[in-house]
Formats: sequence, structure tokens, C-alpha cells
Amino acid sequence: MLAMDQGVVEEWLSEFKTLPDSAVSTYAASLKDKGALVPALYKVIRENYSDLLEPVCHQLFEFYRSGEPQLQRFTLQFLPELLWSLLSVSAARDPHTSGCIEALLLGIYNLEIVDKDGQSKVLSFTVPSLSKPSVYHEPSAIGSMALTEGALANHGLSRVVYSGPHLQRETFTAQNRFEVLTFLLLCYNAALSYMTSTSLQSLCQLSSRVCICGYPRQQMRRYKGINARLTVTSEFLVQLITGIHYALCNGEVELGSKALDDVLYRSQLELFPEALLVGNAIKSSLHGAALKSNNKEGARSIQVEITPTSSRISRNAVTSLSIRGHRWKRHDAVDLGSPDELMDISEVDEGVWPGGVGPDMTPPTITISNSVTTLNLGAKAMKKCRLGGRTSKDKDKEPGPLTTGRAASENTELSVKRLTLTSSQSVPKAGALTSLTRTASAVFSRSFEQVASGNAPPASNHTASEVGRYSCSLQEEGMGYLSPTPNHTQRSPSISVHFGSDL
Amino acid sequence: MTARKSGSRLETEIERCRSESQWDKIPELVRQLSAKLISNDDLGELLLGECKLQTYLKENPIKQGASPRGQRPKLVEVRKHLTAALDRGNLKADYIQEASLLMAKLCYVEGEYRDALGHYSRVNLDDMQLVGAPVYRLSMIAEAYATKGLCLEKVPAASPSLSNKNTGSPSSNRSTTDNREQEIITCYEKSGDIALLYLQEAEKALSAGIQNRSPKPGPAAQDQELGYFLETGLQRAHVIHFKNGNLTHGVGRFREILRAVETRTTQNLRMTIARQLAEILLRGMCEQSYWSPLEDPPTVSPLDDPTRQGHTLSKNYSLSRRPRVYSGENLFCPQENTEEALLLLLISESMANRDAVLSRIPEHNNDRIISLQSASVVYDLLTIALGRRGQYEMLSECLERAMKFAFEEFHLWYQLALSLMAAGKSARAVKVLKECIRLKPDDPTIPLLAVKLCIGALHWLDEGEYFAKMVVDMGEKAAEFRAKGYLAIGLVYSLKATDASLRSTQEEYQRKALGAFQRAQSLSPTDHLAAFYLALQLAVSRQIPEALGYVRQALQLQGDDVHSLHLLALLLSAQKHYHDALNIIEMALSEYPENFNLLYTKVKLESMCRGPEEALLTCKHMLQIWKSFYNLTNPSDSGRGSSLLDRAIADRRQLNAMTLPDFSDPDTVSGSSSSHSGSEPVSPISPSTISTLSSPLSSPSSPVFILQPPPLPPPKKPPSFLPASPSSISPPPTKTRTHSFCNHVTLRQLSSSCGLQDANTLGFSSMFSVCSVHATSIAASRVEQALSEVASSLQSSAPKHGPLHPWMTLAQIWLHAAEVYISMSKPAEATACTQEASNLFPTSHNVLYMRGQIAELKGNMDEAKRWYEEALSINPTHVKTMQRLGLILHQLQRYSLSEKVLRDAVQVNSTAHDVWNSLGEVLQAQGNAAAATECFLTALELEASSPILPFTIIPRAL
Repeated sequence: MLAMDQGVVEEWLSEFKTLPDSAVSTYAASLKDKGALVPALYKVIRENYSDLLEPVCHQLFEFYRSGEPQLQRFTLQFLPELLWSLLSVSAARDPHTSGCIEALLLGIYNLEIVDKDGQSKVLSFTVPSLSKPSVYHEPSAIGSMALTEGALANHGLSRVVYSGPHLQRETFTAQNRFEVLTFLLLCYNAALSYMTSTSLQSLCQLSSRVCICGYPRQQMRRYKGINARLTVTSEFLVQLITGIHYALCNGEVELGSKALDDVLYRSQLELFPEALLVGNAIKSSLHGAALKSNNKEGARSIQVEITPTSSRISRNAVTSLSIRGHRWKRHDAVDLGSPDELMDISEVDEGVWPGGVGPDMTPPTITISNSVTTLNLGAKAMKKCRLGGRTSKDKDKEPGPLTTGRAASENTELSVKRLTLTSSQSVPKAGALTSLTRTASAVFSRSFEQVASGNAPPASNHTASEVGRYSCSLQEEGMGYLSPTPNHTQRSPSISVHFGSDL
Repeated sequence: MTARKSGSRLETEIERCRSESQWDKIPELVRQLSAKLISNDDLGELLLGECKLQTYLKENPIKQGASPRGQRPKLVEVRKHLTAALDRGNLKADYIQEASLLMAKLCYVEGEYRDALGHYSRVNLDDMQLVGAPVYRLSMIAEAYATKGLCLEKVPAASPSLSNKNTGSPSSNRSTTDNREQEIITCYEKSGDIALLYLQEAEKALSAGIQNRSPKPGPAAQDQELGYFLETGLQRAHVIHFKNGNLTHGVGRFREILRAVETRTTQNLRMTIARQLAEILLRGMCEQSYWSPLEDPPTVSPLDDPTRQGHTLSKNYSLSRRPRVYSGENLFCPQENTEEALLLLLISESMANRDAVLSRIPEHNNDRIISLQSASVVYDLLTIALGRRGQYEMLSECLERAMKFAFEEFHLWYQLALSLMAAGKSARAVKVLKECIRLKPDDPTIPLLAVKLCIGALHWLDEGEYFAKMVVDMGEKAAEFRAKGYLAIGLVYSLKATDASLRSTQEEYQRKALGAFQRAQSLSPTDHLAAFYLALQLAVSRQIPEALGYVRQALQLQGDDVHSLHLLALLLSAQKHYHDALNIIEMALSEYPENFNLLYTKVKLESMCRGPEEALLTCKHMLQIWKSFYNLTNPSDSGRGSSLLDRAIADRRQLNAMTLPDFSDPDTVSGSSSSHSGSEPVSPISPSTISTLSSPLSSPSSPVFILQPPPLPPPKKPPSFLPASPSSISPPPTKTRTHSFCNHVTLRQLSSSCGLQDANTLGFSSMFSVCSVHATSIAASRVEQALSEVASSLQSSAPKHGPLHPWMTLAQIWLHAAEVYISMSKPAEATACTQEASNLFPTSHNVLYMRGQIAELKGNMDEAKRWYEEALSINPTHVKTMQRLGLILHQLQRYSLSEKVLRDAVQVNSTAHDVWNSLGEVLQAQGNAAAATECFLTALELEASSPILPFTIIPRAL
């Protein structure tokens, strides 16, 4: 450590002590101008054995305790460096050197876990809900929401605690270490916008080192400090990732992406789902956005371009929205015998062939999975498509049972693309088909035409005239083909159902 | 009359066509118009000019970023029309303005920016009336402002002469450019505001029109497209803000646009902007730099580029009419950046979801990719926002909605799996992980995650083996994960060995486990877990010296690993170095002061080497820890438990908690574990338990206890010993419980009043641990698993598992207390303690076993037998109970039955030396001396390597 640095630090140590209370805020503002101070302080923290470490830690704590936000942030900017110092010392099992750092960190922790009145602080936030009007939306405009358990549970706005209450801590133990450090990082992350790039770089370095020390990747990164493995917790890594994310988007592209990679590497080895989840999401969301690091002045890589406002999705593609126009025929009108013979295939939004595509085209493959539980299908209008499992060897063609559905009450405009999915209905061996369905998913390939033109067929419509007839042939290897027989009308709905056991 | 009437109808029709951009109809209408009145000729010119210009723009749309240049022959006509309209000057003032605006627009399209600006300065845009203006004119004004902004942006660059003038004084130059910039931004902001107003009005007019007229669904009824100028007007302002590094204003502008009531046309814009704003909130802001949408932005913000700070461009214009914003009572307004980001993302998600392209034909490939991309960006951001706040349950529900995009999309599947895992929905997570494995068979992490779940909460050992083998089979490809794979399979075998009921199977699995751990250890010699599990496995198969070697190795690698320290202590106790073991435990406790598992062992060791008084002190300490842990969790802020459904679920679970089979159901446990630590709903049990906890405490239990002589040898004490203890006067706990359904306040009071001397009465010794180990009954084994997990999970102070765990811990504590009382021959206190545990889990075999022991202590052999039989009916493989029952049957001289029971017990756990001993006694009584000797020898041999608590109390998890 250079004498000059030492001088700067010593001056800093002495001047705050003599400061009158009234001058604190102006002093806090003036700290920014002391260019040599911050690097000198970093040096003090890095050199564990420096005599200055103890008074520096003490002063940093005094800063924090003053309650002046700028002074608190001044202290916070050293947090990553302090954490690393603490962790590396504890990994090296060198118990006495980091006493003052421990005291500083515990001091900050104990200050932060209580509110002004000394009560345990509980950090909470409100989970917004689309079912409640907000400054940005009106529930009615969002459209029907799925009635999932989650949606119901969320019907009201609920407040959720995400941190706290925490216990006061007197000492660091192996048990509470990461609990305290995680909370400290939470405090740091709450002030990220105020952190200097040096601090962010230090955070990235901390993350990398914590994650790779003692692992083969350490050689790759050519880091030669300690080489013992540090235990980490998933929550701690998630907080690190939050900081790294900010650093990544605010000028520290290189160090940030390295750090993110290292955290992900460690999370994989430790099998931490939380850290993997958030880390993957950040990686994937930044994948498209080209990060610009060329601007040295801490340029934010937040860039916004004018985007076309018209939908980029072509009109005739079937979307969740357009599929609401479809109504699925239900045929509860006909009794289909024992319930075992009924295969209920609950169908998600997927799988509608838009009307108006010629029958000569290759039929699309539509996945209908009945392994998905209905509860979770949630998202959009879920239509039940019942496939009456009656097929016949002798190609006995019965009129496909048409259902009443809710057709009559429905919007006429929408009924244009009405779909009917039925089949003739006798299963030679009930067991065969049930076992087919049990193979979890049926792949439907079919091409639909508009079956019923115009209005909904009335409830009594059981004639074959408007509906295709289907025959079903079961093949030995567990594939069933429901192949269409052309109808006599000009509209020839054709359905081919194909059961595959491949999922 | 008729002419005028039809004339006005014609005008309305023209206005409608202009509003709805139906330019193709204009020429026809103009012809009708000119047939009516001559004075309208100029209007006709205007209309024709407009319609030709608009049609031209529709056919040759201007691209963003590209600047139009040069005269186009097609536009000559337009100019002719407009010049004609303007020159004659017969038009009404409104129409003259319109014609000028159109002229300016034409100039822009032709690249004549200065001319355009000239036209605008003549019209004075700010004077144009917004109130009462026809819809089309709003659009015109909005476009005009946007065009003016565009021209202003072009002009300084286009005319060096202008900027040269200012080079003389840099400061004035700076201020001029600032003013210029300000003017440009104001133009765009006005344009954007008026555009929003126009769109709202247009939609209103359209819906009114549909109601009035017969449905005439023209093309305009479909989504209207904004066109270049309005798009620019809506977005250019914030783009400039962000380009200048002025985040506060950019965010402010975003919010203004989003607060305007949406229209069909703005939906896509809103979706994009909502997502972008969420990105900024998550990437560029923090809690401290946040300000709420309804507040004024801070004057100085770290978000703004410091070099640019100082020229704070405040919004300095007003419009006579502004777009409608969302309003009403109780509007939710976010107060925190995560809240706002979440709200925006949920809105964005609902729109992205609506646009999910479902058809899978190749023609729609591009559409599908677009919809997938826009949705996955939103889901990634949702993950970031919710992950930060630990809301994995909600996240898993959101990602579940993403599944309609997920066909063959690995990222979405994987994220869903991880979120389910983080939310504690283990069974589902495993299913989703299977799909992930299918999509990405080379990634060793995925099967390892599945193993983690299988051997953890789910206890699906066969599945776990399947996944672990997958990793092992990857061989070299799995790289660093190969060792982990062996570790995983070793753990599976180890757990299977514990579950196995046949000794040969057990040994087979133990052998396999040992092999796998050895492999893992050799592959990754720096991994302390490999060494530790190897040591543990060796310990379980009673190879104590070898185990000691490896546990030391593990401790060298990871000095403060709690499990290694615990194992070391147990190994020392197996060598009968109780004092050393106790030292190790105390050392471990200095690092893990709140680890119940360690504390149980400590109690046991203390009563062994220091007598029960010391153990009681430790028990008191445990009690305090329990309270400080679970009192701290705030009941009112229970995560999502405040919602109706969750409360219902919580109640149901609570009922389940009362009966054994339900909490052995992995899904119940894991499902409930999803909630965050703070979210443990404090159930009605809690007051009752706490107060019952204090019930014996309120009894005249006193320090006298401590001064009492060390316990007499436990079993078969005549009841006459009892009255000596003052505690026999203690009121039955049930009395206290009558007013035990107190609220949380009393709960706190009681717990805080539960001071030192009270706790003295509570002795515990580990008993669950004694009885764990083998269980053929899967249900029972899971219970044991869950119970031992309790102890282990407590090492991290946040109990990640469901609300049951605190209660299981408490029950455990009560049972330990009971056991200590039994060892002190105090059946009354033991009964009271057992009763408390029984209130929590009435059908636990451990409770019944304890009752049996108390009955034995009282000398009621028949009653004891009954309790033991009940315990066995719940868990038929509870070795401890079997041993006691065997003994009683022996005393009742029912030797062959006794022998049968004991032989069964030995089958279940061949290392239980006391069972061997009892079996020897029975055989001896039957006169089978040779077999008895054999048994005694085995017992002796096993006892020599028997730890104070079974090694298997140390949790095995990946």
C-alpha cells in the first residue's frame, strides 16, 4: 500500500470525526469528489492485514449508522469486497483476521433487520392481479381468465413477505452466515442504481470466485487465491444473480457474463433449482439483446427502438384468440354405454385447423394430450372434445352423434368455424382403446373443413348429412386410425385420428 | 331541401370514410359532391389530394429509419390537387388548415423538410382545436406533430449553414441544440398524446357506427393500422429519451402511454411497451431509485446519464384534450419496481398468450416463432421478477400457462420443471424433467435434478435409480457430473438398503452403495460429499475405523460441514469415546447452534456422560430455539395464505396433520412445502400447542427437579416410587388447554414467560432417531423420512418445508421429554409430555410406543402390551416397539410368540444389538442354549460398534 493512499485514508478517517452533525449531508455529497479515496479503501479491504482495516471498518459502520442515505450507499459500495474478504478468510480457516469485517457486516445486518421503532422488519410486496383494475389495465379488457387454482387464489391482491423477520445476530456461524449475507446482498441490490462500476465489478468478481473456487473451472479462469470450496446457498446465488443482471445491463458486460456463467455452473453442480431458474431466464432474455459495452461511461445498455405496432402474426394463423371462435361439438346427447368405453380427451387450445384450407393439403399434426390434468390446462378457453369410442370392424356406419352443445346461445359469427369431432362408436374391445388412451397422448392428424356452415346446428341434428362419417380401424401395434369417409355433401369434413404411443 | 339534406349526408359519409381511412371510396364521393354544389370544388381537390397521398403511402410505406427522398411522379398529382385547393382560397378556415397540413406532409414525403416546416409555421399547430374536432382531424393533427418532429430532426443535419451560424459560441450552441431537442420531443409527445386520443375516439365512433348502421363490416372494422407517422409520434419521444440516457423521462413517457385506455390498435404497442418498461424496471432500476407511476419523478436520479443531467426537460405543454386514462376507485398502483414489473408482465403475458400461434403447419412457422419469441421474453422476465422475490409457486403457475408454446421447446420445459421444483411440487417436476431429458438427452444436470427429487421428498427410489443410471451411463460425456452421478446412485442404493426388509437384499444394496460411493470418491477426490457419504455408508455397515478415515477426509475438505461433524461424533460414540463425541458435538453446535439433530445427539451423550441434569439444560435450550424460530414467523403476512383458497387448503392440511397417513403422503408434504418460510399459516394448533407447551411448565415444576438424584434404572419400576416427585401434583395438562385456544398475543406471552426454570422440567432424549431406520411399510418409512428430515432441514434457519415441520419438531421434542422422564422414572411427567405430542400427531406410532413405555414404567404390563400392539398396527416394522413387545411377551412367558416378534425385528434391523440380546434371553428361556449363545455373541459384537444413535439419523440427500 502506497503512502499516498494511506494518507488519503487517514485524512478521511479523521475528518468525519470532527464533523458537526449539521454538515453531514454536505459532507456526504462531497465524498464523490474524493477520487483517490475509494480505490485506497478497496486496497485496505483487500489487504487483510492492514492496520487501517479496523478503523476503516469502524468508520464505514459509522457512516451506515448515520442514516444519511448517501453515506449508507458509500458503505454499501464496498459490500461485495467485504463479503469476499470474509468468505475467503473463513474458507482459509484463518479465524482472527476478519474480526472487524465480521463486526461491520453484522452491524449493518442488525441495523437493517429492524425498523425505526426497533421492531423486526418484514419486507413484503403486493402481488398484482389482473382481476383487479390498475393504473395500466381494466380487468374486462383482459378477457376471460382461466379459472385455475392460482387465479382463484389470486383473486384479491395479496401481500407477500419476501424477507424477514430476521433474528439479531451476534456472531457469524456456519449456520447463519449465508442467511446474513443473503440479506445483506438484498440491501445492496435495493441500492444497485447508486453503485459505482467499480462496485459492480467487484460484485461480479465475488460471484465468480465464490462459485468456482475449488472446482475445475478455477484453472480455466486462472484465479489463484484460495482453492477451497465455499459452501453456498441457492438464495445467496439468486441475490448474486440479481446484482449480476444489473451489472450486465449497465456496462459490465464482460465481467457480468462471466460471473453469470460461473454462477450457473455452480448451480448446476449443486442442483439448485432457484438459481438455475433465474440464471437461465437472464441468459435467455439477454440472448437477443445485443449488449453494448463500447461506451465506457457506464452507458446503459437499455435501448429502445421504434417497433411496428401492427401484429406481426399473420391473420390466418390460428391463435389462442382466434380459436375462441371455434366451438367444439359435444355429444352428450347419445348415451354411449359404460363410462369405461368413453374416452374423454380433454383438449387444449391447440389443435384447430383453420377453416378454409383445402382437403388436399397435408393434414397438420395436432397433439392432444390427455395426460395433462385438466386443472392445469388453464390458460385459455379449454374445450372438451369427446371422442366417443365406438368403432366398428364391419364399418357399420352410424351417424356420428352430434351434440347440442351450447351452440344455440353462441355468437353466430363465431359458429362459422364450427368443428365437430366425432366418431362412430363401437369399440370392439373396450380394453384396447382404453389402453391406447392410457398411452398418454393421442396424436390427431386431421383436416377440418367448416363442418356446419352458418348457424349452429340445432339440438336435434342427429342426421349424418352435415357431419362426416368416420370409420376407425385399429391396428395391432397400438395405432388407431380414424379415417374419414367422404360425405355426400359438398363439404366433406375429414378426420383422421391417429393414436400414437410415443409420448 | 333534399339537395342540402343529401349534401350533409354526403359530408357525414365523407367524414366517416376519412376517419376510417377508406380512401378508395373518396373519388366516388367527391364526384357526387361536385355534382351537388359548385363551391365544393375546392373541397373536392383537397379530398382527392388527400386520398391520393394516403393511397400512395399505403402502397409505398415509409420504413422506420429510412428517410424519404426525391419527387415521385405519382405525387405530382397530389401536389396539383392540393395547390389547387389552397390557391383559390375559397375553402373554410378548417379546410385550409387541413390542406396546409397535407401539403406539409407531402413535402416531407418528398424530402423537402424546410418547406414542410414552413407550412407548419403558417398553420400554427397549437391553435388547432382538439375539442369537438372530427375524428379524422385528430389523426391529422397527430400526424402533423410527428411530421414536424421528423422535419426538425432532419433540418439541422440537412443544412450545415444553420448550424454553422451557431459555432461561434459553444454555450449558445449547446443551449440552441437543447432547445431544439426540447422542441422535437414536445412535438412527438403531443403527437403521441393526440394519436392516443384519436385512436380512442375512432374506436368509439366505430362501435357507435356499428350500433347505428346495419352491420357493414368493412375492412376498417378490422384492426386499423397506424402508419408511419402515428407510429413515430407514439414512440419516437421515448426512444429519444432513452438514447439520451434520460431514463426518468423515458419511463415517464412509457407510463403515460400505458395509462391511456387501450384500443384495439394500441394493443400490440402496449404489449411491447409494457414489456420494455418491465425490462427497464428489472434491469436498470432498484428499489431505492424507484418512483411510483403516480408520483413525480425525482429531480436527480442515478438513472439518468450524469453527463446529460442538468437539462431536465420537464413536460411543458398542455393540450386542450388528453387521451382518457384508466381511472376509478381503488385502482391498483404499484409501489415498488418488482410490483410494477410484475403487473406489466402479467398484462403483457395475457396478450402474448392470446397471440399464441397454435397451428403447426409449415406455412405458419414464422408466425409461430414470432409468437414464441415474444412470449418467452415475457416469461423470462416474469421468472426474473418472481425469482427475485422467491415466489416460485406463482411462477410455476405462470410457466404452466406458457406450455401452449412449449411443444419441443426445451427452454420452456426446463424452466417449468425448475419452477415446479423450487415451488416444491416434486412429483410434477419429475414428470416435466422427463420431458426435458427427452428433449436434451445429453445434459447430465437434468436427470440429476430428478434424482434429487426422487430421493428427497418423493422417496421414489426406483425412479431415482433409473435417473441416476442415466447419468452414470453417460460416462465421460457427463464430465464433472459423472462423480455426482455415482453419488446419486449410491444414495439411491443406500436408501434402498435402509428400506429393504430382507437381510440379503439389504446387504446387496449396501454393497452396491459402497461401490458407487467409492467410485464417486475416486472420480472427485476434492468433493467432501463423496468422502462423507462413503464414510456414512461404511459406518452403517459398521466398518467404524474405515469410516473414521473417510469422515476425517471429508472434514479436511469442508471443515464446517455439519453432517460430517455429526457423523464423526457418532463414530466416536460407537467406539465408546463418549466424551470425545460430546466435544465434537459441542464444536459443531458452536457453528450450528440451531441444529436440532445435533442437539438430540448432544442430549443423548450428555445423559450418558454428564447425567440428566446437563441433558435437561440442553433440552431447555432446544425449547427456546424452537420458540425463537417459529414465533418469529409473522402469522398475518403469510405468503399467499391470505387468499381464500389457500386458507382452505391450509385448513385441510392442518386436519391432515392430525392423522398419520396423510403426512406421509409425499405430495401433501411437498405441496405444502412450496410456500415461503414466512408463509406458514399459523394454524389453530399453534396457540394450543404453545400453551400446552407451557402447561406442564405452569405446573409446580421447579428447580427441585434438577437436584433430584440421578434416575433409577428405567424399566419395571413399581409405581410406589412416584409420589416422591413433586410433579405428581401437577395438574393434568388438559385443564390448561381449556383456555389454551388463545390468540397469538398470549402465545407470545406464554412463550416468553416460559423461562428458565420452567424448561428444566422438560427433558428430552432422542427417540425418533432410535426408532427410525427400517420400515417395510412404505408409509411408515416415509413418515420416518419426513421426521428425520425435520431435524435436518432445520439447519437452514428458513424452514423450506411445509407448515407441518414445526409441529413435527415440537412433537419430537415432547417425545424426547417423555423419554427423559421415563429414564428418570417419572411417569406422570412423561405422560404429560406424551400427551402433548399426541395432541399433535395422535396416531403416530412413536407416541403409542412412548405410552407403552410409560405403562411399563408404571408396571402395567397388559396396558403396555396393548400400546405396543397398537404402535405395531400402525408401523409393523418399528424395531424398538418389537423389542419391547418381545420382552413383555417373554415376561408373560409366551416364549414362542416372543421369539417370533424378536426374529422379525432382527430381520428388519440386523444391527439392533438389544434385540439380539432379548432374542438370546428368550431362546435361553426356551432352553435353546446354543442359539441363545449365538445371539448373545452377536449382540455383544454389535454393541461394540453401536453408536449412541443410529447413523441413519443423518439425512441422505443430493
